[in-house]
Amino acid sequence: MRFKLISCEVFYREMCYTISQSPNQVDLEFLPKGLHDIKASLMLERIQDRIDATDESLYDAILFGYGLCNNGIEGLTARKIPLVIPRAHDCITIFLGNKERYLSYFNNNPGVYFKTSGWIERGTPGKEFDQLSIQRKTGLELSYAELVKKYGEDNAKYLYEELEKYKDRYNTFTFIEMGIEPDDRFEKQTREDAEKAGWGFEKVRGDISLIQRLIDGQWNDDEFLVVKPGYRVIANFKDNVIEAEPCKSAEQKDNK
Amino acid sequence: MENLKMLSEAIINGDAKKARELTQQALNHRVDPQQIVKEYLIPAMDEVGRRFECNEYFVPELLIAARAMKGSLELINPILASRGDKPAGRVIIGTVKGDLHDIGKNLVASMLEGAGFEVIDLGVDVAPEVFVSSVKEREPNFVALSALLTTTMPSMKQTIDALQESGLREKVKILVGGAPVSQRYADEIGADGYSDSASGAVGIARRLIL
Repeated sequence: MRFKLISCEVFYREMCYTISQSPNQVDLEFLPKGLHDIKASLMLERIQDRIDATDESLYDAILFGYGLCNNGIEGLTARKIPLVIPRAHDCITIFLGNKERYLSYFNNNPGVYFKTSGWIERGTPGKEFDQLSIQRKTGLELSYAELVKKYGEDNAKYLYEELEKYKDRYNTFTFIEMGIEPDDRFEKQTREDAEKAGWGFEKVRGDISLIQRLIDGQWNDDEFLVVKPGYRVIANFKDNVIEAEPCKSAEQKDNK
Repeated sequence: MENLKMLSEAIINGDAKKARELTQQALNHRVDPQQIVKEYLIPAMDEVGRRFECNEYFVPELLIAARAMKGSLELINPILASRGDKPAGRVIIGTVKGDLHDIGKNLVASMLEGAGFEVIDLGVDVAPEVFVSSVKEREPNFVALSALLTTTMPSMKQTIDALQESGLREKVKILVGGAPVSQRYADEIGADGYSDSASGAVGIARRLIL
């Protein structure tokens, strides 16, 4: 089988490794990690644009290295060949290998910030995403000096406290080791970050097998959504995260 | 009252010190506190909401305007309470279980307060049973639920279900919001109102309380 894979660059090492091991031939296109910082509709637009730019006659399906990602893939539409998308809230499910494991970890550790090789070495935000990011656009990313300049000392102090205090509720860096790292550099980096922030450090073992099944074409319905041509992705707010609906019914809803 | 127009301006500009001074002055001159709220504070926050909707104001401007308004209300509310004046309605608000984010929830709380509602803020990571016991105790008109993550959205449904099971669901209107929340989700879990912005939440609360 021959596939096109459109993936967030946060999976750079995992995707390259897995494709090298797969019987399938996979053409790979990475998109910037910064997409997750912009409005869902803009993220969707960028990804759909890469589907529409694909010569679909060359492939059996288009695979995705994305989860629901804050609804950033909601509306993604299959044209002539199927789209295959992991049923995942976000990349952490994909790193941990299944959504149940992610939810149980998350529910017990809401104050966790996850790190992986991709989260560490990928996605230094480009200028474009700096300007488009929701943080920037809503005025949430101003430095203390910028706040003082715009709103005066007294208000700046108040704003800084208000806008930064959510960070105090995070208390742990969890490093997900995928088992394909060259050495312990990423783990070390996470430990250092935790120490600097005064946070706890935890290491959990990732599970690359979900990515492997994606690439190998083993798409069981529990783990993957296969979107047939003429259908589009919607969030379904259930345990299986996403489903497909015919584009026609979507148009009727939009016209309502 | 020239000074009171300046009070509106002070709130719109997020000048907390001035807003407090002008409010105290007005109270010293025996201006009716209810009049200060209805004619100056609420219209000022409505204007702040309008500017936010039009992208003239961003989150920081909203936060400092709300702060200025709260300073005024701190002087006014005890007087209103001692006279037995009723707020526009009572709202219990919180970010649902598992979710630690509160900027959006705080904005909605501030806008509702600025619109004359009494707001009881339960904070973040609020379990369904905490919402239930607060509703029992405080008997609000509204319960407002916030979530920033798709992973914590199911907590909204669990909270509504918990209210249903406790027999409290029909006693309150439920508002939901947060970045990943949509009208479709609100309908699906049986919420009464949804808005994609803090100022929009005020309009919905006003409409639903009639």
